Amino acid sequence: MSKRILVVDNEEYIREVAQICLETVAGWEVLTAASGMEGIAIAIEEKPDAILLDIMMPDMDGIATFQKLQENEATRSIPVVLLTAKVQAADRRRYEALGIRAAIAKPFDPLQLASQVATALNWSL
Amino acid sequence: MRILVVEDDQLAAQALTEILSSQNYAVEVASDGIAGWEMVEAYDYDLILLDVMLPRMDGISLCRELRSHGYTMPVLLLTGRDSGHDKAIGLDAGADDYVVKPFDAEELVARVRALLRRSGMASMPVLEWGKLRFDPTSCEVTCNGKPLSLTPKEYALLELFLRNSRRVFSCGMILEHLWSYDETPGEEAVRTHIKGLRQKLKAAGLPPDAIETVYGIGYRLKPLEPTPASPEIAKTTTSEPAEPLKQQAIALLMKTWNRFKGRVSEQVSVIEQAVLALQSHALTAELRQQARQEAHTLAGSLGTFGFPEGSRLARQIEQLIQGEKLLGEKECRSLQQWVMALRHEIERPPHGQHLLPESEDESRPLLLVVDPDRVLAEQIVAEAQKNGLRGAIALSLSAARRQFHSDRPDVVLLDLEIAEHLEDGLALLADLNRHTPPTPILVYSAQADVNDRLAIAQQGRHTFLQKPLPPDQILEIVLRVLQRIDKAASRVMIVDDDVGTLSTLQTLLRPWGLHVTTLADPRHFLETLEACSPDLLILDVEMPHISGIELCRVVRNDSRWGGLPILFLTAHTEPEVVNQVFTAGADDFISKPIVGPELVTRIMNRLERLKLLRDRAEVDPLTKVANRQKSTQDLDHFLQRARKHGDPLCLAVLDLDALKQINGQYGHAMGDAVLRYLGGLLRQSFYGEDVVARWAGGEFVVGMYGVNQKGAVQRLLKVLDTLKHHAFVPTEPTGNNTPAIDPVPDAQPPLRHVSFSAGVAEFPSHGEDLRSLYRAADEALQQAKQTGRSRIMLAPLPAADQEVAHG
Repeated sequence: MSKRILVVDNEEYIREVAQICLETVAGWEVLTAASGMEGIAIAIEEKPDAILLDIMMPDMDGIATFQKLQENEATRSIPVVLLTAKVQAADRRRYEALGIRAAIAKPFDPLQLASQVATALNWSL
Repeated sequence: MRILVVEDDQLAAQALTEILSSQNYAVEVASDGIAGWEMVEAYDYDLILLDVMLPRMDGISLCRELRSHGYTMPVLLLTGRDSGHDKAIGLDAGADDYVVKPFDAEELVARVRALLRRSGMASMPVLEWGKLRFDPTSCEVTCNGKPLSLTPKEYALLELFLRNSRRVFSCGMILEHLWSYDETPGEEAVRTHIKGLRQKLKAAGLPPDAIETVYGIGYRLKPLEPTPASPEIAKTTTSEPAEPLKQQAIALLMKTWNRFKGRVSEQVSVIEQAVLALQSHALTAELRQQARQEAHTLAGSLGTFGFPEGSRLARQIEQLIQGEKLLGEKECRSLQQWVMALRHEIERPPHGQHLLPESEDESRPLLLVVDPDRVLAEQIVAEAQKNGLRGAIALSLSAARRQFHSDRPDVVLLDLEIAEHLEDGLALLADLNRHTPPTPILVYSAQADVNDRLAIAQQGRHTFLQKPLPPDQILEIVLRVLQRIDKAASRVMIVDDDVGTLSTLQTLLRPWGLHVTTLADPRHFLETLEACSPDLLILDVEMPHISGIELCRVVRNDSRWGGLPILFLTAHTEPEVVNQVFTAGADDFISKPIVGPELVTRIMNRLERLKLLRDRAEVDPLTKVANRQKSTQDLDHFLQRARKHGDPLCLAVLDLDALKQINGQYGHAMGDAVLRYLGGLLRQSFYGEDVVARWAGGEFVVGMYGVNQKGAVQRLLKVLDTLKHHAFVPTEPTGNNTPAIDPVPDAQPPLRHVSFSAGVAEFPSHGEDLRSLYRAADEALQQAKQTGRSRIMLAPLPAADQEVAHG
C-alpha cells in the first residue's frame, strides 16, 4: 500500500508545500509535525516509513531531533532525510557520519521533491 | 488560400479561375459588385481580385466599401490599359495593387503571391519549417533537399499552416480557406487530407506530430523549438513539461502561495524593520535574530514557490546579518537594496504558472480519478481531456480529500483499492457523499465481492464498474453520468471574454434553474460545447482569437448543432453587425448593457419553445414513449456503439394482443387506456441504455443495449407478467363522454385482462442494422401471434431451433 512519510518543519507553508508535492505527485500519505518534539511523538505513534526533517528549527533543531529518534527503540529504524540549505560535500559527509540517509537542498523544486525523496530512500515512484 | 474574383465578363472570370486554381488557390466568382459584397460578408477570403468596371456597384466603390467596413484582405484591381485615373483612385480607395487587362498570367500570379505574402502572414518568399522548404513560386516542397510529392489540397493545406505558423485552424476554418463554397465537402475531407499530409511529412523524416492536433479546436503547425526557460527558473521549477499530476501540484501550490502570501509579506516586513532600525542605529539583538530567522526561512522556501531570485536575495541578507558583526555603511546600503528587491520580488506572480495549461477553463466539468495506479489514472485523464473534460488525479486517500476540497469535481471515479482497508475507502466515500449537491461517484474495482458491494451500496447510490475496463469505455460511462445529472435542467452555454458579463449572466440565470456553463476563452469553444451539450448558446460578438460570428458559423456548419438556438450579445447594434450576425446563423440578438428581465424572458421563451417542439417531435403523446423517428435515431446510435465495442444489443417488437377487439368491444377510450398503461409500464421497466418507442397502433419497439437474448426475454417476461395480472375496468361500450377509466387493480368485474406478444432479435446474429433486426424480430412476433399469443419468441438463429418462452 502507499508509503507514509512524516514531514517535520516549523514553517507551516513549507509543511503544506511538501505535503502537497508528496501526496499529489507520489501518492504517499503524508503526516506533518511543526516541531522536533511533535515529530518524535508522531513518529512513535504512527511509525511512518520515513521522516523528512528540516534542519533549522527553533527549540530542537533537526540534528537533535534525529539523535532523539535514534535513541528510541521504536523510531531507530525509520530512515531520515534532511531538508537543509547546507548540502556541500563536507556537510553531506557530516550527515552521513551521523547516520542520516540523505539531505535534500532547500529551497527544493516542488515537482522534483518526490523523486528526490524516492531516490534517497530507494523507493519506487 | 481562398480568393474571390469579382468580374462580370464570363470569359475573363473563367480564365482567372483556371490560372489561380492551377496555383492551388480556392477560387470563387461574383459577377457584379453587390454579389461580391454579399460574398465577402458571408465568407472569409484571403484576397480579392476586383474588376473596376462592374454592374450594380463598380469595383472602386466596392473597394471603398470593404475598407470602410474594416475588411483588410488584399485587393488586386483589374484595370483597362489606358486608365491611369482608375488606378489612382483605385489605390486611393484602398486597393493594394493593380494588373492591367489583358493580363499576363505569370504577372498576375506573381502579384497575387506578393500580396498574400505582404498581407502579413509571412515575410519570406520561401517558407521554411525545420528541414522543410516550401517555395510558392515553383510550387515545390522539399524536405532535407528531397522533393515531396503533394496533392493540390495537401499543398494548399501545408501552405496555410506555414503562412500562419502560430494559428490553430478548425476543420471549418480549413474548409473555408481551401475549398470554394460550392465544393465544400464535410470535415472528414479535412481529416483525410491532414492524415495524408502527415504521412508524407513523416515519411520525409519530419516528426509525426509536425501538424499537431489541438484537442477540440483543430490543427496547427507544431511550434519548432519551445523557448528555453532561463536557467534560474529551470533550476527551481524544472523545464520538463508538466504532466497532469505535476500540473495539479502546481495548481495546488499556487493556492497555497496565495494563502500564505500575507505571511511571507510579514516575514519580509520584519527584515525591513530590522534594516530601518539598523540605519537609525537602533537594531536590537532580538530583532536582528528574528530578521535572520525570517530570512533563513524565506531563503529556504521562496524558490520552491517559484521565486528563485527571492531565495537568493534572502540568503544574502541572512548571511550578512547572522552573527553579531557590526555592519558598516556600505553593508547597510546593500541590505537596503536587497530588501527592496526582495519586496519587489514577492509582489510579482510566481514562476511556474507558465507550466499550468493555459487558462484551463474552469467551467468544463472536472473528473477526479482516485486510483493508486498512476498509469491507468493518467490514461483516463488523457481520455477525459479528449472528451472536453478536465481531469485530476489522486493517488492516495489524503490526496483525494485535498483535491476534492480544493477543486470540487463534477464526478469522481474511485478505485477502493486506494485504501488498505475497505473501511478507510468507505469512510472516504461517506466523506465525499456529505456534500450537497452530492457529487456522483463511480466506484470501480477489480475484486469487490458481494459483501463489499453491499457496503458500498449502503453509502448511497453509486454506479459500480468492474475492472478492468478500457479508458475510453470508462469515459463513456462518466459522460453518461454527467449527462444524467444535467438532464433535468436546461443547459445554457455562454461565451464572452468579459468575465464580468459572464458572472452577471450566471447570477441572472441560475435562479431560473438553468445549468449555466461559461467560457471566457473562445479557443476552448468546441470541446466545451461537446462537453456541455447546451440547449441554448449565447455568444459575444467581439472576442480575441475567434469572434462570436466565426463560432456561430462553426456551429451552423456542424449538422449535430444545426438546431441549437444561438443568441448574440453585443454593444454594437449597427445594421451591418446585426446583418452579419444573422447571416452567420444567429436566432436572436440582445444588445448590451444587459437588461435582466428582458434577457431572462427571451432565453426562457426560446427554451420553452424548444422543449415543446422537441417533445412534439420526439414523444408519442398518448403513451409518452418515444416515437418512431426519435427511437430510430437512438437505436442507430446504440447500434453504432455495439458495433464499436462488440457489445450485445437486442431489439424486441411488441404487439398488444387483441387491441382491435378491445377497441371494438369497449370503445377506443379503453384501447387508449391500455396503450397508456403499457407505455408507462415499459417506461418504468426500460430506461438508461434502453430505448422504448411506439411505432404503430399497438406496436412497441424496445431496444436493449448490452443485453443478450436471454436477458432480453427475461426482462420482457416480467413486463408481460405484470401486464397480464393487471385488470382494466372497461369503459361503457355505449360511452358517455368520460374518457377511459384508469385501470384499477382488483376492482369488481367486469374486468379485462390483456397481454402482448413479442419477437426478439439480437445484434449481430440476426442482423447488423436496424432494418434487418426489425424484420427478424417482427417475423418472430408473427410466429408468437400464430402460436397462441401472450408469449415472447426469439428470432430463429441459423441452424438452431427456435425457443419459446411462455408468459
